[in-house]
Amino acid sequence: MSAFLTIAEAGRRIAARQLSPVELTKIHLERIRRLNPQLHAFLLVTEERALADAAAAEARQMSGQRRGPLDGIPIAHKDIYNTAGIRTTAHSKLLQDNVPVRDAHTVKKWADAGTVMLGKLATHEFAFGGPSFDLPWPPARNPWNTDHFTAGSSSGTGAAVAAGLILGGTGSDTGGSIRGPAALCGIAGIKPTYGLSSRAGILPLAFTLDHAGPMAWTAEDCALLLQAMAGHDPEDLASVDRPVPDFTADLGKGVKGLRIGVVRHFFETDHRASDATRAGIDAAMDFFRQEGAEVRDITLSPAADYHAVGYLLMITEAFALHAPWMRERFMDYGELFRDRIALAATVNGPDLVQTYRRRRVLCQEMAAAMESLDIIVSASQPGEASRIDALTKWANMENPSFTMPFNVTGFPAISICTGFGAGGLPVSMQMVGKPFAEPLLFRAAHAYETAMPWRGRRPAMAE
Amino acid sequence: MAIVRKRMECVVSTTKIDEAELAVLLGRAGLKLTPDQVRAILPGAEIFRGMIARINAPLPREAEPALTFDVEQK
Repeated sequence: MSAFLTIAEAGRRIAARQLSPVELTKIHLERIRRLNPQLHAFLLVTEERALADAAAAEARQMSGQRRGPLDGIPIAHKDIYNTAGIRTTAHSKLLQDNVPVRDAHTVKKWADAGTVMLGKLATHEFAFGGPSFDLPWPPARNPWNTDHFTAGSSSGTGAAVAAGLILGGTGSDTGGSIRGPAALCGIAGIKPTYGLSSRAGILPLAFTLDHAGPMAWTAEDCALLLQAMAGHDPEDLASVDRPVPDFTADLGKGVKGLRIGVVRHFFETDHRASDATRAGIDAAMDFFRQEGAEVRDITLSPAADYHAVGYLLMITEAFALHAPWMRERFMDYGELFRDRIALAATVNGPDLVQTYRRRRVLCQEMAAAMESLDIIVSASQPGEASRIDALTKWANMENPSFTMPFNVTGFPAISICTGFGAGGLPVSMQMVGKPFAEPLLFRAAHAYETAMPWRGRRPAMAE
Repeated sequence: MAIVRKRMECVVSTTKIDEAELAVLLGRAGLKLTPDQVRAILPGAEIFRGMIARINAPLPREAEPALTFDVEQK
């Protein structure tokens, strides 16, 4: 049995009683034992819990009481998602002994769907400070080349999915923390619309920018995972109370008639992406045109405008949360987290109000652009993953992010693999939809993924 | 037809921040740091000043912050 099944494939086989959830789980536990010492994707492996979850899933399988397509599927959670009775550290010394008493809302929803939890995954410290080498655990490594970065902050999830340690996992995204690791690890990851999935029980970074979402090998798998994640939760005040659509309903409908706008200046002039990244996007647009979509370039404000608004909000909101510990235990944080967040001290009141005002202008600009479009396309990352030892403390400020604009506006955005660069590591693109238009994003991403060869290639270390 | 939006004028900060000013601002926020700790933050503060300047570029009077974050822009 291949360990490289997708969630959709594994689910079908489990439903047909051709695949045992217990055997599937044992294969993944063995892969974790073999590869995690090089990848550092897992901070904690919950083998006993995983085998118990798998046995329960198998009992339901055999008695005809399967709960749905995720029943028996091996997953893991980013270590900012609270897990009852299981250590949740935020990859930080400050919480290294923290054991929550309740599951995060989304952790419970995935458990209720029958998933098999294999453990807790590496993150940048408190979903922001990384890759850091001064924390209690090392940073995750990129399975395509372990000398390279995974991006963050959902670093462990990106590495674990790409290497086949899990079939899917949770991420969180405040400025690109789902889409960045998805891009550099060559997988799919979606930041849903703000308010679609609950953040209750997830350690926050910045309340008005934080999003919870899934990461997996394919867009289809992300759709299946998001189905069991989305929905109203009164414990998250930003959670919207509206019906959850069927995220897989439109898969296979193609892209004919869709209107796609490419924000070319983001990745050609505002922050020039690599040749392979730009070529991948061009090839994808050619594909969409051939399939009947209308593709045109659009112009928005410079990416740096969005980045400045998002970055200022991110660190000021984070400082507000962390101020008591920052004042008393400054050196217990890793250098990257503490020094970046300390910059919030230089923001004054009028700066913050101007940020709110500019955010509204940018939100309105993007909403207006979307009136005549179904999808906006940009790069996810500027290129292949850098060497992990080549990143500076201020790297995330030096150039505008391609992902932050959609945290600022809250629009849903998915990153998918568009091939490989000169160094043999993945490159990617980002597709953005109207608020709550995730089914359409999955439809377009699925059309692209199933027509291209990229989903057939895995990191050599995982083969 | 391509959608064309007016691009905001790029603002590049020339505002510098020195170690003494940074130490005062950090101290005002309750961060009592050593000179070495302040110096470690200074390069980032200079980049961040550029972001703050960009945010403070003039906005039209009607750009008011009420309902700052409504994803559906009602």
